[in-house]
Amino acid sequence: MPELTTQIIFYVFAALVVGSAALVVLGPNLVHSAFALLATFFGVAVFYVLLGADFLAGVQVLIYVGGILILLLFGVMLTHRIYGVDLKTETLQFWPGLAVAVAVLVTIVGIIYRTPWRQMGFAGFEGPTTSSIGELFMNEYILPFEAASVLLLIALMGAAMIVRRRSDL
Amino acid sequence: MIPLEHYLVVSAILFSLGLLGVLTRKNAVNVLMSIELIFNSANINLVAFSRFSSSDFSGQIFAIFVIVIAASEAAVALAIVLSLYRILKSVNLDEATALKG
Amino acid sequence: MPSLGTLASLKYFLPELTLVLTLLVVVAVDIALRGREDRRLGTILLALAGLVMAGVFTVLLQEAPQGALFSRMLVLDHFGLLFRFLFIVTALLVLLLSVPSRELAGVNQGEFFALLLAVTVSMMWMATSINLLMIYLALEMVSVGSYIMVGYLKGERLSNEASLKYILFGAVSTGTMLYGLSLLFGLTGTLDLYGIRAVLMNEGMLSQSGPALLFIVILVLAGIGFKTAAVPFHFWCPDVYTGAPTPVTAFLSVGPKVAGFAVLVRFFFGGMAQPAGDGSWQMVGVNWQALLIGVSVATMTLGNIAALLQTNLKRLLAYSSIAHAGYILMGAVVLSEEGIQAMLAYMVIYLFMNLGAFVVVMVIYDQLGSFDVKDYGGIWKRSPMLTIAMSIFLLSLMGIPPFAGFLAKFYVFAAVIRAGLGWFAVVGVLNSAIAVFYYMKVLKAMVIEEGTTGDSSEIALHPIYAGLLIVLLVPNVAGLVLWGYLDQITEYSMKILETL
Repeated sequence: MPELTTQIIFYVFAALVVGSAALVVLGPNLVHSAFALLATFFGVAVFYVLLGADFLAGVQVLIYVGGILILLLFGVMLTHRIYGVDLKTETLQFWPGLAVAVAVLVTIVGIIYRTPWRQMGFAGFEGPTTSSIGELFMNEYILPFEAASVLLLIALMGAAMIVRRRSDL
Repeated sequence: MIPLEHYLVVSAILFSLGLLGVLTRKNAVNVLMSIELIFNSANINLVAFSRFSSSDFSGQIFAIFVIVIAASEAAVALAIVLSLYRILKSVNLDEATALKG
Repeated sequence: MPSLGTLASLKYFLPELTLVLTLLVVVAVDIALRGREDRRLGTILLALAGLVMAGVFTVLLQEAPQGALFSRMLVLDHFGLLFRFLFIVTALLVLLLSVPSRELAGVNQGEFFALLLAVTVSMMWMATSINLLMIYLALEMVSVGSYIMVGYLKGERLSNEASLKYILFGAVSTGTMLYGLSLLFGLTGTLDLYGIRAVLMNEGMLSQSGPALLFIVILVLAGIGFKTAAVPFHFWCPDVYTGAPTPVTAFLSVGPKVAGFAVLVRFFFGGMAQPAGDGSWQMVGVNWQALLIGVSVATMTLGNIAALLQTNLKRLLAYSSIAHAGYILMGAVVLSEEGIQAMLAYMVIYLFMNLGAFVVVMVIYDQLGSFDVKDYGGIWKRSPMLTIAMSIFLLSLMGIPPFAGFLAKFYVFAAVIRAGLGWFAVVGVLNSAIAVFYYMKVLKAMVIEEGTTGDSSEIALHPIYAGLLIVLLVPNVAGLVLWGYLDQITEYSMKILETL
């Protein structure tokens, strides 16, 4: 892919990601925020593609957009009648909060440009990653793979238990 | 080739925005969205570093697990929000202040 | 040292496998026995059996060769073994504690036990992980399980609020920690803790990566501080402890907290320090000792001072457990095997004294329906046994000899003094002195003050509670006698696998 095209795609989607994230955090309308989050997730998926992580990009779209975002939308819609109600009480005022966030951002950016991040060229990233990732899951990473299934079981049972109405099931 | 630092800066902005949301927003679902921003920012770091700084796919694998974990947490969090909503609705709209700081 | 592959690792993995199998069977049996009388009993017995078997397997693993398992995801060493055993004991005690509990009477206990088992396995993984991915995964598993357990009384507003607060705070803290871990990955190019240390020891990189490492350590401390309820990541603790069902509070104060300390030691000693050969450790990369000293002082001081103002027993014990986390941290700070040994001893003793106090709080709540210290008046007359038991637990928590709590503090302070940080020990002693006041407040109410309700009937003691009290009292009282034994165990366990 020609260099300029890649750069254009990166900058456009970087702007999209940052802009929509700002809308998520600053926007007054919760439903608008949820849809802005959708744009953020898609933008991140594009970054993954640019970084050569094609399988991960697919997972991002499937799970973040197709799962988590849908859940969040349900959450927004089902509780909208009390959306004016504060479900969380310890919050900072906006300006001090912004000051903290900006300070953190400046610190991180300073660190990014001063730190000797490890640089290693790796040719294996050209091409599809799915089979390599699959192999890794079955060999080196099989323990976390199985552990994650226990996690999913707990989350499934727990979420279902908390939400259901009949208590003798 | 986009340099590594570009990706890191974008994720840093996402992280800061997420932090801002957590600190200043009052609605629990909104805070949850901000938390997802934080997770995504860490994931971008992981994938970018996997590409530039490591010799294998471990960063990408870590990112996949983060997505799984984020999904589980979102499910549980929304279940709790829904449960709390049911209770508050029947107690005449009030702030969740039964527990004081 | 070679690392075992999947099949070969399985035989050293029996405790965890047993627990996972048990949890699956408990869920299945819970569904199968739906609507039947023996449902509760069935699930209780199954869970107990599973835990006991896992405990036996853990003890049998003492003879196993140390090394890495599952392609360097986990490590098998003495340090990890002690924690695995401790978590099984914790789960057994909490399981028994929750059976007669009035708060959990109406809810489905089968799922609760399954959750408890799952969280226990995850805590065991927290204590034996040496890969950033596995550490994070285990930590999140414990957290998610805890969030559910806290919100278990879904009909109660307090329980729900506590759960929401817990999950929001927790997700932010662990998300921040994840960001830090991602930066560490970028700095070193690997997720393996020992590999990270190898890269960090390379001189050329240390000078330039200082700021980044400091930032990373702070971010990682966000997650670890959250799990151990250390300042300034303790804000969730009082509210969550108060709102959660008391058996869950008791569990949180001794389970995930101790697991958090295991991760702290693994991360800092395994990834950012190297053994100097004579039992002491040298830091690698950045001076995290100073940071931990600051956290320790802030934690114990805030915990003790805030506890002075509390009248709700659960809140008081929440701040008290925050303070104890501060004392435990003192052991980590001294950068020696002796310090680790002191930490381990403290954690073991802390399990028995803290759980004991919670059992008494539960007994009183089940009878009187209150957690307020005002309603603790006149209990001496209504149940002298209960009062004596509580006195012993409180005296132990205060650190008064001859109870085990004194020995725990002595161990930690001695290690600190021997490392040349005498002033730090003085801070610890002053804090313990402050703590006496709020523990005494409870004791005073029970012994001296009059009851508020005018009810002077005897407080019934469910046999399981009575049994638990006896089991928990023994280590506290017989501390001096069992001391040699504890010394041996902790000396065996302070050996973290040094190199891989």
